[in-house]
Amino acid sequence: MADTIRRVATDVGGTFTDLVAFETHPDGTMEIITAKSDTTPPDFENGVLNVLKKGGIDPETVGFMAHGTTVVINALTERKGVKVGLITTEGFRDVLEIARGNRPDFFNLHYEKPAPFVPRRLRAELPGRVTYQGTERTPLDLSGLPAILDHFRAEGVEAIAVCLLHAYANTTHEEAVLERIRAEWPGVSVVASHQITREWREYERTNTAVLSAYVQPVAAQYLGKLDAGLKSQGLPKSPYIMQSNCGVDSLEATSAVPINMVESGPASGFWGAAELGKLIGEPNVLALDIGGTTAKCSLIEGGEVRIMTDYWIERSRKSAGYPIMVPVVDLVEIGNGGGSIAWVDDFGKLHVGPQSAGALPGPAAYGKGGRDATTTDANLWLGRINRDYFCGGEVEADMAAAETALAAIGARLGVSTDEAAQGIVRIANNNMVNALKLVSLNRGHDTRDFTLVAFGGGGAMHAAALGQELQVKKVVVPAAASVFSAFGMMMSDLRRDYFVTQLVDLDAGAGDAIEAIFAQAEDQARATFEAEGVDPGQVAFLRYGKFRYQNQEHTTEVLLDGEVSDAALGRIADDFHEAYEREYTYRLDAPVEMVGVHLVARAEIGKLEMQPAEIGPADASPALKGRREVDYALEGRHEADIYDGDKLAPGMSFAGPAIVEDPGTTIVIHPGNRVEIDAYRNTHIHLGERS
Amino acid sequence: MSGDDPITLEIIQNSLQAAADEMFAAMRKTAMSSIIYEVLDMGTGITDATGRIASSGAGIPAFIGVLDKSVRFIVGKFPADEIRPGDVFITNDPWHGGVTHLNDLVLAMPVFADGRLIAWTANIAHNSDVGGMAPGSLSGDATEIWQEGLRLPAVKIIRQGVMDDSVLDIITANSRMPDFLKGDVWAAIASVRVGARRLEGLAGKYGIETFLRAIDHFMDFGERAARAELAQLPHGTFELSEEQDDGRIFNVKVTIGPDEFLVDLRDNPDQDTGPTNACKDGTMICAQMVFKSLTGADSPANDGSFRPLKVLTREGSIFDAREGSAIGFYFETEVRIYDLIWRCLAPHIPERLPAGHFSSICGTFIGGIHPDTGRQYTIVEPQIGGWGAWEGRDGNPCIFSGFHGETYNTPAEISEARNGLFVDRMALNTAPGGEGRWNGGRGLILEYRIRTETGFLTAGYTRSRIKPWPLQGGEEGSGNFVEVHKADGSAATYSFVSGLSLTTDDVVRVVTSCGAGYGDPKQRDAEAVRRDIEDGLITPERAHEIHGVAI
Repeated sequence: MADTIRRVATDVGGTFTDLVAFETHPDGTMEIITAKSDTTPPDFENGVLNVLKKGGIDPETVGFMAHGTTVVINALTERKGVKVGLITTEGFRDVLEIARGNRPDFFNLHYEKPAPFVPRRLRAELPGRVTYQGTERTPLDLSGLPAILDHFRAEGVEAIAVCLLHAYANTTHEEAVLERIRAEWPGVSVVASHQITREWREYERTNTAVLSAYVQPVAAQYLGKLDAGLKSQGLPKSPYIMQSNCGVDSLEATSAVPINMVESGPASGFWGAAELGKLIGEPNVLALDIGGTTAKCSLIEGGEVRIMTDYWIERSRKSAGYPIMVPVVDLVEIGNGGGSIAWVDDFGKLHVGPQSAGALPGPAAYGKGGRDATTTDANLWLGRINRDYFCGGEVEADMAAAETALAAIGARLGVSTDEAAQGIVRIANNNMVNALKLVSLNRGHDTRDFTLVAFGGGGAMHAAALGQELQVKKVVVPAAASVFSAFGMMMSDLRRDYFVTQLVDLDAGAGDAIEAIFAQAEDQARATFEAEGVDPGQVAFLRYGKFRYQNQEHTTEVLLDGEVSDAALGRIADDFHEAYEREYTYRLDAPVEMVGVHLVARAEIGKLEMQPAEIGPADASPALKGRREVDYALEGRHEADIYDGDKLAPGMSFAGPAIVEDPGTTIVIHPGNRVEIDAYRNTHIHLGERS
Repeated sequence: MSGDDPITLEIIQNSLQAAADEMFAAMRKTAMSSIIYEVLDMGTGITDATGRIASSGAGIPAFIGVLDKSVRFIVGKFPADEIRPGDVFITNDPWHGGVTHLNDLVLAMPVFADGRLIAWTANIAHNSDVGGMAPGSLSGDATEIWQEGLRLPAVKIIRQGVMDDSVLDIITANSRMPDFLKGDVWAAIASVRVGARRLEGLAGKYGIETFLRAIDHFMDFGERAARAELAQLPHGTFELSEEQDDGRIFNVKVTIGPDEFLVDLRDNPDQDTGPTNACKDGTMICAQMVFKSLTGADSPANDGSFRPLKVLTREGSIFDAREGSAIGFYFETEVRIYDLIWRCLAPHIPERLPAGHFSSICGTFIGGIHPDTGRQYTIVEPQIGGWGAWEGRDGNPCIFSGFHGETYNTPAEISEARNGLFVDRMALNTAPGGEGRWNGGRGLILEYRIRTETGFLTAGYTRSRIKPWPLQGGEEGSGNFVEVHKADGSAATYSFVSGLSLTTDDVVRVVTSCGAGYGDPKQRDAEAVRRDIEDGLITPERAHEIHGVAI
């Protein structure tokens, strides 16, 4: 029989392991299967096998599997990695502890600087120097290495990180250290900084190497067991692993540098938003993912996500955090989700988050003993969430508990329970608007050119209000918004981002120099892909140069079209001036220099192609399931039409005030909004006069 | 819902903070000087129409109280009809609203809605060279302000949106690094403009009256928060006299009452002829910083937060110098005032104030010609150092002084490329000192090897001879100093040095203090001492001697 193509994404979270499968039948029709089961530490592969079984998926019939996991970020934040020894250039072993010296919480004189992941006794040094230009200044002296390794063994070190000064410019010393370690201590887990990044800043690179070593044995074991478990059940080909750069990578490559997975969860959702934008002809997207504890947003321009290497964990106004210099989708995250707790400070000011009620006790309305009012409680109280269809009907809303919690907030503010609930929604919305501005207006983008794509469990509840405030083109809530990340995983390419620091003045001869940097990086990428069985002819590249005015520090990325030569330098400089002026409002008549390159290498691996369904009649009344009063906060109370999301079909159209309910999410449609369902069952919300 | 509801006011207040942060980000990304973009020796702020501070961008606590004083000066100097939409003003002179020293250029922009002045956005940043007798404009030899650079007595640089090229030409012609200066001034302009746009948007959306009320309420909130904390502090009068590195005695008397926090600094030496004088506004900022740490590090810092604070100074003293005095190294005197107040109160308020830290900017200036590019380079950097311990915790190693906050050191890799020198070492300072039941944090050792034939070093460190002060029987910390190891084998140690000639293979060795200890060193947990020894932070001999632990 003609085969059904079966693509599967599995996602291992802290509590649940999710599955989404897309089946494309021979007649072109598509079917989406979702399933959920418990995460099963430490044998995570069992959870994955369980969820496959629950979804009725036989691993033998799966043509493509993508896999996302929080194993790396969890090992970091829960401090469950291994004991690491660090080897640095002579004179620099304390860089890891010195860090950058900043005190973000500056009026707090009891500020506590984050402790290094490797104590001083396990930080060793080797003589030998290269310069920033990549030339050798002092030869590497490995004579002390055996004693260092003996010391590490005696101390119970399980992984070694190596970071030498200027290794981004010349990797030979690090390579020599690696080679000798492997010879002296076969089988030990070891990583050198240049294997992860070729960018400068020794603290950031050292910390990156250390954190990578810290999680490497844990992640390698996880991936090995997952692969063996799936293969034993007949999966024909190893799963691809979701990365933080919105691509997937092979299981083998991921095992070598697992730190690249650190932010893979949000990355898949944002990539889904980018692909969705392309599908519906909206390449400029503001993507918003609202979950239980946080909201994350990112900007997609011309169908491209922005990938940066300025990523930190545990960084806040209270702590300097730890840098991880790997390619991560550019995102802003704030502590505002459905479970965020509303509270009133000693001076009668209302706040929402960043504390979250979590899954237990959860919002007061869960009836599990939660006493704090959360955003979800406010949305329930205002009739935005259906109290009789809470969590898709799986939970009976404890409205008495919600009322008690909200009334307590109201009492502290001196307002009614209704006003307290409205206040919570408005404060939460304002927090999210400020986050969305950070990725858009703050970078010189006009939000009127963008479509807001909202997903995650809570995205659709707030999207229309946020879209209105930001005056976006329109708001789109994707079909199956609550499992949208899985869609992103299935749309991903095999993708690697190479960042290389190398200074070049834009003078005569610079064209060849820049071309050579790209050509070398491209050769390396092709060779790596080829070694993994990917046809080098299928590898496509995007070249970005990182430019600045001479003497500046921060760079602006400019997309370079085609081969770089001296003849092209004028156009490149013009593109830089233009990009710079857009972001910063002025341009300078000053020399321009290139600081490095960012090369994107990607190869398609047979990703999902969405099939449009036929457009039906506009009449949405077949999906109408009732009416109820809804409080829209600023716009007051209105009788709203309530639609069953499962029954909304392509082509249907209706107007707000309305609410769309499906098991995973609730879409709040404000008075004056107009809604259309497209051929992929996405919900398009036109906001008013402008559309 | 009316525009006066508490939620609307709260939203406007949050947006003021977001706007100040946005101004900060814009300045950081576009500046030319590493002292701005890397060290973040800069600040941004929003004031109301009269110059009361409403919110400020992160950065340096010592800059938060500057911008309101600048705006107030401008508002006082210019008649209302000469302050117009699109104008931008510039000042750098402490007797003309500049507060700090001439290197710090303040730009301020009035914000209008419906033709009415509703607020100001302002920005301050350290520029690498504004003229004067020495490269970098700072010289320990200066005796009057005219030797420290070009004075900008609050003038208009942009008139209704149009750059006054005459003013910009005068400023750049007076700098040894005109391209840097021009780039940095434009970065500052971008920053105040982006803030002004946001405020116009807020006033447009919520209405001018609501916008103004939100600012007033925000300040009242700041005041209520400060007063609530003030009530919790021990009330009484506290006094301290402290000897300085140069033998002078500084005196402070702090009187804390339920409604007022009074800092009396009148009984102090006359101003001196060198560049270490502070102006009255600067002295106020030192007191504001300690006051803020005592009355709510978490609540917003705005005009209201500082209302209970009063500071008394004597004109003509080192803390209230007369116009025309040299002030280039004002920050070393101000950090002494700050530390003096801190030390005076620490024994009485240990839950907020740890033992003494390295407590110096350790301003280090190294310049010369980059051997690879042939271009002039100037390092202008504060240093990081050790902080004091407190009950239950060792002090932090290597962070910036209380004067700097969200400030970053310069990576060796970037310094070598940008400045054309070698960084031989960047390490923790393991000198003896700072032991206690809880140890002070370690200071820094940083070695620069010069690669140019004609370079210079200027530095100004205090807490060199008089060391960081301990609490509850701990040991005092070690001192700050800079050593120069000449290529010819000679060596010298300095705390203040100006324009010292350097040449190829000379090594400048920056050494900063270990913070002071807290509690009797003999009480330190033996296991912790063993770890200190394994980590190479203390020798077994010293551990035995000071902690009584035999290994």
